[in-house]
Amino acid sequence: MISVSKLLCDLDAEGDGLRYDAADGSSKPQISRVKQRRPVVVWNLTKRCNLHCSHCYAAADTEVAPGELSTAEGKRLLDDLSDYGVPVVLFSGGEPLVRDDLFELIRYADDRGIRPVLSTNGTLITDESAERLRDAGLRYAGISVDGLPERNDEFRGKSGAFDAAVRGIRACLDAGLKTGLRYTITERNASDLRGVVELLRNEGVDRFCFYHLDYGGRGADITDLDLSPEAKRAAVKELCDLTRTYHRRGEEIETLLVGNYADAAYLIEYARRYIGSDAADRVHSYLRRNGGDPTGERVADVDYQGNVHLTQFWQGYSLGNVRDRPFSAIWDAESNPVLRRLRERTDHLTGRCADCRYQDICRGGSRLRALTVHDDLFAPDPQCYLRDEEIAPSSPPETSAD
Amino acid sequence: MVEKPDRYRVGEHPREAVEHEWEIFVREEERDPLRHVGSVSAPSADVAYEQATKLFAWYANDLWVCPARAVHRYTTDTLDDDAELVELGSGDEKRTHEP
Repeated sequence: MISVSKLLCDLDAEGDGLRYDAADGSSKPQISRVKQRRPVVVWNLTKRCNLHCSHCYAAADTEVAPGELSTAEGKRLLDDLSDYGVPVVLFSGGEPLVRDDLFELIRYADDRGIRPVLSTNGTLITDESAERLRDAGLRYAGISVDGLPERNDEFRGKSGAFDAAVRGIRACLDAGLKTGLRYTITERNASDLRGVVELLRNEGVDRFCFYHLDYGGRGADITDLDLSPEAKRAAVKELCDLTRTYHRRGEEIETLLVGNYADAAYLIEYARRYIGSDAADRVHSYLRRNGGDPTGERVADVDYQGNVHLTQFWQGYSLGNVRDRPFSAIWDAESNPVLRRLRERTDHLTGRCADCRYQDICRGGSRLRALTVHDDLFAPDPQCYLRDEEIAPSSPPETSAD
Repeated sequence: MVEKPDRYRVGEHPREAVEHEWEIFVREEERDPLRHVGSVSAPSADVAYEQATKLFAWYANDLWVCPARAVHRYTTDTLDDDAELVELGSGDEKRTHEP
């Protein structure tokens, strides 16, 4: 997760310590005073969902899937995560609000010292449930909207989904919950990016997370909808420009990019071209501390049946199952060669990643996309949009980032 | 002090979401034991093997796949609601566990 607003506009946020080891210089209360040592854990509470989105990494369905961890099992999982030092659990799905015990599990996580946050389509959130989420201790609700109304509803497979999500956003904001947008950028909706930000900004949203498409679940079936590298570059530039425009007029929105660490290098090039070399050096310094793609290190996933995955997008391979081994033991088991090699991936990257000058801040980007497209865990990320002259292991080019 | 472990049989919970789940075992060198390295989702053993190959072929000599539903799990540490303690016989049990 790369904060555009932090890096380009110096906006302080609660994640400064966790993400950049920069808690001391931040004016905001911090999730963690030090950079995380343990992963943020995404817990897909259920596979069931009231929508059927074309890009769903969890391949969620409207039917109940068997084998969900029970409330009691979930609490034991949270005990283990707490003892292990996991800083944040992202309750996700499917749609987590279809589970009646969501509030109880959020409260339990909070009581155990884990920061509970939520990923939801927002369409089931009412005024009452938003207040219950707040009272249970939820710290943040990320609500998915993937385009302006017509496009979003097409993507989500349900007419009226956009309006229902906006009602959910309003309910959360009215309840005093920190609430943000989750938006997966594809060829279909890239042109809606600016419009969605403006529309939701008018609703009072001030945090906007943009996800690159990863090739897991149903996302693997729509790789043809992924942006071309040049279009991806243009979309990221538009987000950078938009963020700076808002900040220049005094609206301090928080904007973040997720799922493609080519963005890290691009932000340095952008800063160098449009802000100055000192800014580029500062951005580079933050990103070194951030450490690049977090797969298998700073992010983990537990699915509804208790299978542990390298990220939430990588559901096709499981490291183990929490019903027969604690999460902490599974995550620490570097006898697993995939886990071990991923953690030392810079020694194994091939092709243009092998001698990329930004390897230390990107770490090869998405290994799942490389595996899906090239059948090779350490091949270049097919969605790296950096130009050869930008990544050459020499001095940076005079002009770039356009 | 040496004592027998309390070991539980994990319940027969489904492990299959969209496709079948296959436990993967690899042998790094010819004389090494097989090692469990997780599981993959796949519609058949052949596809599971293909997927596991992409992850482990560079590493392993041998690669075995086994339907997860055929694996019965016994563990000393479980969060499973349905886990049942398996009583060990008393007396001359030789396999013991250093806690």
